Amino acid sequence: MNRLLVVFLSLLVGSVFAHTNEHANLGKQASSIKASGKVFHQSISIIRRMHPEFLHHKRDKTLRQGVRTDEYSLKGCVSCHANKNKTNNQYHSVDKKGQFCSDCHQQVGVSLDCFSCHRTTPKEGFL
Amino acid sequence: MNKTLNRRDFIKTTSAATIGVATVASGITLTTFASANKVPVTNEKRWGMLIDTNKLTEADIDGMVSACQQEQGWGSEVHSTGAQRPDWIKKLKVKDKATGKISNLALMCQHCEEPPCVDVCPTNASMKREDGIVLVDKHLCIGCRYCMMACPYDARSFVHETLSNQKEHMPRGKGTVEACTMCVHKVDKGEAPACVVSVNSDAVIFGDLYDASSQISQTLKTVQSTQIRADLNLNTGVRYSGI
Amino acid sequence: MSNIRFEQIEGKSLGFYVLVAGLGILVLAALGSMYYMEHHGHFVTGMSNRIVWGMPHVFALFLIVAASGALNVASISSVFGKKIYKPLSRLSGLVALSLLAGGLMVLVLDLGRPDRLIVAMTEYNFKSIFAWNIILYNGFFVIVAIYLWMMFERRMNKFSQKLGMVAFVWRLVLTTGTGSIFGLLVARHTYDAMIMAPKFVVMSFSFGLAFYLLILMASYKWTDRKLGDIIVNRLANLLGVFVAAVLYFAIVFHLGNIYLAENNNVEMILFSMDSIYTNLFWYGQIILGSIVPLILIYHPATKGNRSILGLASMLVIIGGFIQMYVLIIGGQAYPLEMFPGKEILEGYGGIVSYTPSLPEIILGVGGIALALIAVTFLIKFLPFLPESLADEVSNPHHKS
Ligand code: HEC
Ligand code: HEC
Ligand code: HEC
Repeated sequence: MNRLLVVFLSLLVGSVFAHTNEHANLGKQASSIKASGKVFHQSISIIRRMHPEFLHHKRDKTLRQGVRTDEYSLKGCVSCHANKNKTNNQYHSVDKKGQFCSDCHQQVGVSLDCFSCHRTTPKEGFL
Repeated sequence: MNKTLNRRDFIKTTSAATIGVATVASGITLTTFASANKVPVTNEKRWGMLIDTNKLTEADIDGMVSACQQEQGWGSEVHSTGAQRPDWIKKLKVKDKATGKISNLALMCQHCEEPPCVDVCPTNASMKREDGIVLVDKHLCIGCRYCMMACPYDARSFVHETLSNQKEHMPRGKGTVEACTMCVHKVDKGEAPACVVSVNSDAVIFGDLYDASSQISQTLKTVQSTQIRADLNLNTGVRYSGI
Repeated sequence: MSNIRFEQIEGKSLGFYVLVAGLGILVLAALGSMYYMEHHGHFVTGMSNRIVWGMPHVFALFLIVAASGALNVASISSVFGKKIYKPLSRLSGLVALSLLAGGLMVLVLDLGRPDRLIVAMTEYNFKSIFAWNIILYNGFFVIVAIYLWMMFERRMNKFSQKLGMVAFVWRLVLTTGTGSIFGLLVARHTYDAMIMAPKFVVMSFSFGLAFYLLILMASYKWTDRKLGDIIVNRLANLLGVFVAAVLYFAIVFHLGNIYLAENNNVEMILFSMDSIYTNLFWYGQIILGSIVPLILIYHPATKGNRSILGLASMLVIIGGFIQMYVLIIGGQAYPLEMFPGKEILEGYGGIVSYTPSLPEIILGVGGIALALIAVTFLIKFLPFLPESLADEVSNPHHKS
């Protein structure tokens, strides 16, 4: 019950926040895409609101049916939205405080367990 | 249906599906993704493995184990004790009591057609794909470990500690059950499992059991092979010859 | 039965508060242990990939089995129409629910991902005995709760008999289900036998009644209410019969296994002298948990003595717990028989050892504490106990 309430409230709050906040730390690759004037997501407001559904859907598609396209892949989110530490050239975890995924979730009070299993930085050897 | 698409096909089909990707088709992201399966797997295939213990050397088995660890990222747990550490693939030495013949073999999830782990799982986390690969959907796993009780091969492991820096394609985490996935992430790209690739001879063959012309089907037709615990009628996907 | 008056206990004495505080601390300690285990992961426990289910499962299944058995007293009155047990029915329902709650708490808190409990409630695999058990447990709560309400609510009294019947059938199915968790594991010689189901049912009779007797005697003694010999002696006799039945099943089960050649190796665990399970089986389950209580209950020198009966019930509980331990842990300690006619030289096999860690034990004890605290509180706030169970009250025809 509580969980539902949290989800519901965060939906409400989320939609408010999500529309007012401009993201400072989009991530290394996402920033360069944006800087080059291209777009990736069809619509910012859709990805902001709908990404949990997209991810859950994708998750079942991959696990149960073996569909492994990059569309809405969690690996993809991480590899685009991870920031790099300028001094030691290491990626920050997307889930660390202040990073792309966690920053926004913290504001709306959502906590994810995904990253207890899923890798939080792009795969080794990824520039 | 040909699984191995070339890169151009891939870009074409994906961009049809998502406008988004097409706009960045300049290549930045796509370098991460090689050819990938984009249609649901079907039961027209059944993946299987044949392990010939007469040809398989002990060094081969060690190689298989470490290839699996490398690929999937298990085995470097720091806190777990020996019996707590994950063990996706075991090296066994078996002696026939009557003849004294000794065989070495690699034992992992046998990818049963009638998997007991799937039957007992309360939440449908243990599952069998259409193509016969048995997996844990770790998103649904509550860590009850009933599947481990039910597995006739002791093939499953429970993650006893917090992990980090997992492989990108193999998310693993504390409190859930895991086992050999037959390298499903590679199979879906048209590749063979890591352990199979690591063996230089044809001691381990991987392929489609339903395809009469595949090497595995052809070999199964000519050699004497067995299933471990054949008495349970689970119709395993992993078969052995020479034991 | 109009002369039976139910009344809350006063619950204002120092003893009451000490009891509640003590049990409360145990429950909190259990929550602390669970936090510790979940935070670090199960590596801090004695469990492993071979001993998959450890001490918490022993406690949990023991409590769940006892829970269904504790309802028997009510069933004897409603299903078999024995009037004398009627005043005991309310407490019977309460003890059943409390023990089940305690058992489920332990079971749930030992999951690898207790935070995903919601998944267990929304995703059902109807082929899974475990999923069935979840339904059976929830159903038991609902049915027994309604049953209790009907006993409390005068207008509903007339239905309570019918519902008692439903509850009785449900509890039999429930215990059968619990036994089948093990009975249907085809992979394991140590479990795979449908005798597990009836075996669990008799075990539940005995463990549940032992709990019931202890709680009954303690609450009457501590509240200075009268509890006559008629009732106590009947319950004691019943306990004796149940203990003997459990013993009988244990013997049949193991002899049966010895007879079946394929299980020979497995039985060695009970009959070879070097295993801890051998000792637990013989000294704990058979002698301490069955033979000694039987003697205490039936021997003329000790028969009828309340303290001795309390001791006997205690021994039944301890022996029952040990039986669960041998069954669950001992059953896993022995390696799976994967290659008939072959010997595994390396890589797998051997009897694995298991040393339960402190947090596991505290978690389990917390389950018992939760059950007891629930009983203690509820008999304070609701009239579960007859204000007197003296012989002339419970059996008006009795001549003293
Ligand atoms: C207990 C471990 C675990 C947790 C927690 C977990 N996953 Fe997964 N996830 C996996 C595994 C294992 C796979 C399968 C990987 C494969 O087969 O390639 C997977 C695959 C996926 C995939 C498809 C592969 C990809 O990268 O796109 C998605 C999407 C996904 N998970 C989303 C999530 C989301 C969202 C969450 C959090 C709500 C989450 N997962 C939490 C283990 C986990
Ligand atoms: C190809 C790289 C790429 C991938 C893969 C990717 N994104 Fe993005 N994402 C971007 C870019 C670029 C933007 C910025 C778009 C803009 O502001 O015009 C963005 C923006 C977002 C935003 C909006 C941020 C804001 O401004 O509030 C969210 C939310 C988001 N992405 C989530 C995801 C999720 C979830 C995934 C995985 C399913 C994902 N992204 C995958 C490139 C990517
Ligand atoms: C613009 C703000 C924002 C950003 C950036 C963002 N999210 Fe979210 N996310 C939300 C909100 C709001 C919710 C809750 C909405 C809901 O539950 O429907 C949410 C929920 C989720 C959920 C579902 C949580 C659950 O318990 O099921 C997942 C999974 C998720 N986000 C993944 C990601 C990932 C991965 C990233 C980084 C690539 C990301 N999000 C970035 C706003 C954001």
